[in-house]
Amino acid sequence: MSANINPLANPKGANKVCELCEKPAYIQCTKCFVTFYCGKEHQDDDWVAIHQKVCQLLIPVRTPVPYYTLEAEREQHYTQILDRQKLLMEISQRVAEKKLFEKRHKESLPAALLSLHSAMDIYGTSGVQLVPAYLLLAEANIGLANLSPAEQYLSWADWTVVRTPDCGRTVRHKLHRCMGRLFIVKGDLEGALFHLANDIYYASEQYGQDSIVTCGGYYLMADVFFRQRKMDIVNSLYTEVANTWHSHLSRLLEKHIENTITPEESFDEAQQAEADQMLRSLLDVPDGGPKQQPAQSAALAHSLGILWLLDGDPEKALEFGRRALGYCQMVQDCWLTDPICRLLHLAEEGLDAAQKGSPDSPPCPSAPPEHQRSALLS
Amino acid sequence: MLTPAVLRDNVPFLPPIRNTDKLLQSREKLGGRISQTSKVRPQSRGRETESSSPMEDDSKKYSLTKDEVALFRNCHKQSVCVDMLRQGYHRSFSELLALLHRWNATRDASERGSDIWEQQPLEEQDHKLDQLCHFLTRAEAAQRADLYEEVYEHQVSLARYFVEPEDKWLSHHFYESSLVTARKVKTDRGRKEAEANSNMGHVCTERGQLETARAHYEAFHHLTEGQAWRDEAGQALHSQACECLWRIHTLLADRMLENKDYRPAIETLTKAFQMAREGGDKAVEGKAAYRVGLAYQSAGDHETAERYLNLYMDISTVLGDDESLGTAYKAIAKSLESEGKLGESIELLEKFVEVSQDESLKHNLEEACMCLGVFFCSRGQYDKGCQHFERAYEIAQHLNSVAVLQKAQVYLGTARACMMMSAYSSHVAEARNVDSCKLVVWKETRNDMFNQADAEKTIDDGEDSRVP
Repeated sequence: MSANINPLANPKGANKVCELCEKPAYIQCTKCFVTFYCGKEHQDDDWVAIHQKVCQLLIPVRTPVPYYTLEAEREQHYTQILDRQKLLMEISQRVAEKKLFEKRHKESLPAALLSLHSAMDIYGTSGVQLVPAYLLLAEANIGLANLSPAEQYLSWADWTVVRTPDCGRTVRHKLHRCMGRLFIVKGDLEGALFHLANDIYYASEQYGQDSIVTCGGYYLMADVFFRQRKMDIVNSLYTEVANTWHSHLSRLLEKHIENTITPEESFDEAQQAEADQMLRSLLDVPDGGPKQQPAQSAALAHSLGILWLLDGDPEKALEFGRRALGYCQMVQDCWLTDPICRLLHLAEEGLDAAQKGSPDSPPCPSAPPEHQRSALLS
Repeated sequence: MLTPAVLRDNVPFLPPIRNTDKLLQSREKLGGRISQTSKVRPQSRGRETESSSPMEDDSKKYSLTKDEVALFRNCHKQSVCVDMLRQGYHRSFSELLALLHRWNATRDASERGSDIWEQQPLEEQDHKLDQLCHFLTRAEAAQRADLYEEVYEHQVSLARYFVEPEDKWLSHHFYESSLVTARKVKTDRGRKEAEANSNMGHVCTERGQLETARAHYEAFHHLTEGQAWRDEAGQALHSQACECLWRIHTLLADRMLENKDYRPAIETLTKAFQMAREGGDKAVEGKAAYRVGLAYQSAGDHETAERYLNLYMDISTVLGDDESLGTAYKAIAKSLESEGKLGESIELLEKFVEVSQDESLKHNLEEACMCLGVFFCSRGQYDKGCQHFERAYEIAQHLNSVAVLQKAQVYLGTARACMMMSAYSSHVAEARNVDSCKLVVWKETRNDMFNQADAEKTIDDGEDSRVP
């Protein structure tokens, strides 16, 4: 898979550098012959992260332009290459995002790097299109606790945005969120607050105030205030986040029942995992955290139940649904009781269907929600 | 493991910065501008410099802090929002943004070129944004500490701040939210709630939602019952509530009277009267009684009408208010006349004339004379009627009111014509030589000389005596 090359044997002017670290290369990939590495280690990293997906795609992009006599041919070739580069950028960006969601920061780094390089090939070194790639790199580096490269990437991204006054609010919101994350890790809480505030501002202008995108900013902000021990603010922010998620998931459930859910609205695995982690952390606030109101806990548990039901895991949905009902009974006349009972009912139906599919499992009588309630009450 | 990507082409990414003198100059320039804006927003500026000073002392000589840069690069709306969020006031931020969006939505919904398009957008009016930010954040801080009285105070201050007509909706919005807050205040036996209800009553009246306004005023009245609260001016809240209820009931009744729904109108006015009585202000009570009386009168129940009108009369006498006394006399006279008690009616009308002698009551006097004139004319006593109308006309000449003057003219003219009518028709019927001559003379001069035997005396040739 790899062949040794000697830097001194390269033709004059053709400096082969490592794909990842840009040091002089000693080996090359034998499948495409256009990617070079300083050593085996980097080649393996790149292969796992992104190269196995794009190896063949790189060949046309990186081979020198053949000689065409006609201008039309030259132009056709040029547009073809451009299309391929765009495809390359998209694929690598998607891969990097996915790995970031899965918290595999080390693997996302080469993919993000490739996406940055392709973006630079297409748009030059100062296009606003480079910003997403910078942000991916920065985020991966933050995840790996490499703060100084992360800071550098972010300042490049910032500089690009500053030079493009008409760039969209989405880009700005993402940039500020990433900066916020960096400052949190660095421990500069005031700076983090400044960036998160900007992030929330742009996100609410773009997606609306009750969107879960904006909500992510509030969650991070709550984290900062938690570190500053301003518990009253944390409390009110958590309430806001919990309510937003609860209403969003309730809406999704309605749509799920009516079967009108659109693909953009449904979660993929990584988002599901993130939402689950966030809601859980809200539900089980560590010691010293703000005291939870039972109504809010009920809403959170209910949200988690819906989340798992939508994900197709009725057993977990049932578990959270019961927990929510338990919280509900601590409050008088909780309006959540009915929706929770409906969720339990749906989860049981789902469980029954799953059990009928596998006859080996022992039959379990499904109790109607009323029974559940009385059992819990007693 | 990975160093950040060195750019493939060897162009430096950032331009080299060598000339620091230039940077210093530009900083001074910007500094001047900052100090100008800092007057506008002292509280936020103070905090920003404080937070930025320990961060980078030596680099400060050369560069602006992040906050200063943001202040220039972004619009004021963003600075305000970011300021609020940084201090954790996310509810204030949501509310502010929602209000701004609401304003924009209202504008987009209305036709291009209508009034709202002429106004300066709310998000560009810096001082209003500052005010909103100031009070909203304070209210939120108080809310976090469960100090609902303070929240209420701040909301009311905001509502009072927006007085201009185009900001009415903001004022209404904050009065509404202050009512919600006031309901949560438990320590003052409902005084805040009462005030908030009163404010909401005003708001609904302004919007024309009289029924809702009544509900709010009723809550106000109910809450103030048996409490000795007084406002800053020393006026008792309970009597204020009564007065508000009286006013709203009267407005409601006016609407019903327009549709000729006498029965419900009378009921509503009676309620208004009870409220006025409870409120303890005699003048208001009198007015309320008068309105009930008039309503009964238009419904045809003169006996009850008289009872209420007499009450009005008594109150006016006690208060020594000649003007309202006159109004009372006039109304009662009308009722009596409809009942056929002519003598009493005349008596009252003459009293009306009597009490209206004062110089400031000229218009009442004119009205009294008109009433008397109408009264006599409708009974066929044209000569008496004419006298009164003439007097009314004379007074009307000094009143500066064309409508009143014209009315008097027409009435006087008609009365004179009616007076002449019998003589004229008797002359036509008899048809002697003399009569014909007189008729011819009259036709030529249009002067009334039928009753003056053969004397060639002419009466005044005022234009009023001509009959068209």
